[in-house]
Amino acid sequence: MNPLVRRVAAGLQRSRGQRVGVFWLFVLPFAALTAVFGVWPILLSLQVSMTASATALQPSAQWVGWANYATVLADPLFVASLGRTLVYTALAVVCTIVLALAYALLLHSPLMGRGLTLFKIAIFLPVVTPDVAGYVVWRWLFDQSFGAVNMALGAVGLPPFGGLASTGTVLWAVLIAELWHHVGFYVVIFLANLALCDRGVREAAEIDGANAWQTFWHVTLPELRPALLVNSVYALIQYLKTFTVVAVMTKGGPNDSTNFVSYYAYQLFEQGRYGEATAMATILFAVVIALALGLMALQRTKGPA
Amino acid sequence: MSMPRVNSRWSPLRVLAYAAAGFVSLLCLYPYWWMLVSAFRSTEAILSAPLRPWPEAPSLQVLSEVASIGGTPLWRYVLNSVVITSLATAIGTVVTALGAYALVRRPDVLLLRLLRLGFLTTIMYPYMLLVIPVYIVMYKLGLLGSYAGIVLFLSLSPIQFFLFEQFFRTVPRSVIEAATIDGASEFDVLVHVVLPMARPVVATAAIVSFLLGWAQWLPVLVVSRSPDTYTLPVALLNLNGELGVNFQGIMALAVITTLPVTLFFLLAQRRVMSGMTAGAVKG
Repeated sequence: MNPLVRRVAAGLQRSRGQRVGVFWLFVLPFAALTAVFGVWPILLSLQVSMTASATALQPSAQWVGWANYATVLADPLFVASLGRTLVYTALAVVCTIVLALAYALLLHSPLMGRGLTLFKIAIFLPVVTPDVAGYVVWRWLFDQSFGAVNMALGAVGLPPFGGLASTGTVLWAVLIAELWHHVGFYVVIFLANLALCDRGVREAAEIDGANAWQTFWHVTLPELRPALLVNSVYALIQYLKTFTVVAVMTKGGPNDSTNFVSYYAYQLFEQGRYGEATAMATILFAVVIALALGLMALQRTKGPA
Repeated sequence: MSMPRVNSRWSPLRVLAYAAAGFVSLLCLYPYWWMLVSAFRSTEAILSAPLRPWPEAPSLQVLSEVASIGGTPLWRYVLNSVVITSLATAIGTVVTALGAYALVRRPDVLLLRLLRLGFLTTIMYPYMLLVIPVYIVMYKLGLLGSYAGIVLFLSLSPIQFFLFEQFFRTVPRSVIEAATIDGASEFDVLVHVVLPMARPVVATAAIVSFLLGWAQWLPVLVVSRSPDTYTLPVALLNLNGELGVNFQGIMALAVITTLPVTLFFLLAQRRVMSGMTAGAVKG
């Protein structure tokens, strides 16, 4: 063995306590995969975002500094796309949390008994359904000429829903499909938290004359803080990255009204504009981290921990 | 919500609660039924009566519609999905279990803490945008268009890591120390002490990552160079994007893509639901 390698290996083995050696062996494949398909691509992305797109894949890529970031931030389409992404995310997070919480409370209520597992399976099945398949079906359910949604609305005397064809309704149509796919996950997390809650406290509040709303606001909601925190951070990260639903249902349209940042960046990537695409990726990554950390800090400071 | 305790078996309030839950469940399940029925109806029939709750004349004729997609036979996509997802699941489970074990046992080693940080950063990175630089990495490693590239990339899954990390943290130190004092090597401890205890979590991690891996499409699409390495969701996306809508074919392929994971989920629903949401809320 090469003496240098031997010395490094011996040093690694000495590091704080005995027998680290075999742990290096255990961790090696995991470390290799994380490095090659995680850390390296992220660093590469940062590097590519500072090179000219045309030379990005060549060994002697041309360094352009922050030029791609300047281009991207001066691009009105990107700024509009970022704003759209933030608005959609806010809307989607609120809808997801409110609906999931309401449904979890319904399923958890003492009114429910038999059949609970079936209701849980029904809401969770879309979560494990391949998203492409789910969104393909929703795309056709929303179809203007033979979609079941408009047929059903017509049958009960309601006006037709513009679905994916109109800029005014497409966000809602996309949101409905995404809620269908995701909400079950959040419901089950709320249910897990509710199962840990102390029914006794709630009953005591009722005996003391608290009405349903007071009990919910002062007893149940504070007990659900762990699930609320986890769910809102998960939902935030997930909706900021909204992509598949756009790729399957709208391709960013009509009129760019669903062209979110991740989809816009991906389109640039497909056009070979690697520098700008990776600059957008970095910006979105920064937004994800900043908002997730901000949300966590906000929830930590609110109320007694 | 704090509803009054109900003693009578079917109070109006209870009927209302069941009606609401039943309605939500129907909304969740209707797309599956519509997809299944549409797979057995001609496009013209669907156009004239979209809400018809069952097919006019059920036949397996539709299978010939999707026997070949984009010039590649259907069986190839099915085989790709099964092989790629199984391999990625197997590799991912072994690699992640060992990695998480080392990270939990030796948090004192700086390099291992840095590795954990690197992994957490990776999963925070917008996945579909990580695929862009991964494409470049694959290009540099000469893995573009190869099964190896697709399988290796799909084998890392955050949920597996969290499941294993959480489990290994619950293994009492005393159990490991007892075995070590008896002269067992770390390898023996892992194989004869820890792994037997870890069997349930290994099963859960494998099932969950199979379900999530089956749905993956973007990495497969990006790393592939031809439809020969496409999986079912990618083939479905392709068919859906074609001009001249083969509606019945799209629905049939959606059924084929969905059915295996649906059955799998129904068989292991308790494990899947607890596994996917494990660790989210600690008591």
